[in-house]
Amino acid sequence: MMLISRIKITIAVAAMSAVAPLTISAQSNSAEQIYTMSLAATCANCHGTNGVSAAGGDMPKINDLTHEQIKKSLMDYKSGAHQGTVMPQIAKGYTDEQINTIAAMLGKKN
Amino acid sequence: MNRRLFMGQSAALIGAASTLTSFSAQASNLQKAKIIVVGAGYGGATAAKYLRTLSNNSADVTLIEPQAEFISCPISNLVVGGTQQMKAITTPYDGLVKKYGVKMVKDSVSKIDPQKKTVQLASGTVMSYDKLVLSPGIGLMLDKIDGLAEANKAGITLQAWKAGPETVALHKQLADMRDGGVFALTIPLAPYRCPPGPYERACQVANYMKKNKPKSKVVVFDANPGIASKGKLFKAVWDDQYKDLIEYQPASNVVGVDAKTKTLKFELRDDFKADVLNVLPPMRAGGLVIETGLANANNRWANVHFLNFESTAAKDIHILGDSIQTAPKMPKSGHMANQQGKVAAAAIICELSDYPVNPNPVVTNTCYSFVNDRDVIHVASVHQYDAAEKTFKAVPGSGGLSPAPNALEGVYAWGWAKNIWSDTVG
Repeated sequence: MMLISRIKITIAVAAMSAVAPLTISAQSNSAEQIYTMSLAATCANCHGTNGVSAAGGDMPKINDLTHEQIKKSLMDYKSGAHQGTVMPQIAKGYTDEQINTIAAMLGKKN
Repeated sequence: MNRRLFMGQSAALIGAASTLTSFSAQASNLQKAKIIVVGAGYGGATAAKYLRTLSNNSADVTLIEPQAEFISCPISNLVVGGTQQMKAITTPYDGLVKKYGVKMVKDSVSKIDPQKKTVQLASGTVMSYDKLVLSPGIGLMLDKIDGLAEANKAGITLQAWKAGPETVALHKQLADMRDGGVFALTIPLAPYRCPPGPYERACQVANYMKKNKPKSKVVVFDANPGIASKGKLFKAVWDDQYKDLIEYQPASNVVGVDAKTKTLKFELRDDFKADVLNVLPPMRAGGLVIETGLANANNRWANVHFLNFESTAAKDIHILGDSIQTAPKMPKSGHMANQQGKVAAAAIICELSDYPVNPNPVVTNTCYSFVNDRDVIHVASVHQYDAAEKTFKAVPGSGGLSPAPNALEGVYAWGWAKNIWSDTVG
């Protein structure tokens, strides 16, 4: 009897875990995803939504860079190793952790 | 042993079930909620778009805007100066609807009831909301200057501070002016929309005169004690490029306009007659904010909680952009309104999902000013939320100005414009 109950419960849990995450991921972003997306979106004014520029050659492209390349570029702007116009001033306003989060979000995914 | 295992599994099941229930509740609260955004400028349009993307396209977002297309105030001074046309600063709203699923209603809001949580449209339709986002821009206090409302209505004076038909009309007045004429530009006491904007306008008008009417001049009457933004840079440009074309008069507060004689009247100086009168009146929050009783900062601007941009006067009403009482060193700019729209959108989606609101939001500002048709100067800043003081604070050591006008930033200014227009309206 107990064994049967256990099997039923196991099946029920398995069924839920098979269905529920799909439903949730199709409907909702997690809090962490929302924080990350909105942080990366602070870059979109100048570099385009999700880092995809609508400005052709009028703005340096970032969406062909990897996570590590974006991170290094931002850290170099922040430290002063890399000169520029606006970016050295902007990069100094973000924490190292925020820079890493932004780079992970906007870096190309392959 | 078996019993303990069974209990453990029961607890796991209950945990899984309650997690599922709570996720379902989050999803359905978010999906059931009616979110209305009023005003499709830099703040409102951005909020509407990001309410959709941050909710994985599940939030029900209606954006109410009377204008058929988005017209940008940034870059509009180039239309006043005649080096650009209106089409260069105009973007359709199609992307918001087709790409992002925002429902657009072409109408204006005539009344808000914060208790019943409804908005009434000019057409008479009443809509209910669970969350309301107001981004109505600025209100122009024409009645603060004697005779200005009538003169502006008659088209004798123009403000052209809300980009649109007046932008074109002001360029026409400049183009029709005699060579040797005087273009008077008056600036109200800060805070007003776009702190460097009037000084950029002086450059653009002088740039036109230099090429087309070299005997003319711009006289800038500034109610402020000095140039409110990029002061040293603008001064240097005026000395270098527009020596006899721009005259700057600080601490000059205009109090009256005589439309018949095109004369400005001042608090502390003699009357001044000009050929073109571009009078920028004192500004306050957009009319809806005032009329709904949300302008609780000097009856002029709206105080908000900076973590989610919710009004301090009404629950579930979030206010963005030029209408708010800003945090220290936070300018009233299109770029900033766009950034605020994203913070508010993220907070609203979190609230409707029963998530905690992001405790560490950050916003930036970048503002480019064209000093002629090619060279640009910028000011930039980064503002992190300070939990102890419950406000945004500019990060020490960040931000700054251009060292001098340059053509590279002229290229970036156009890149910025194209990308922020795309980020805001599709």
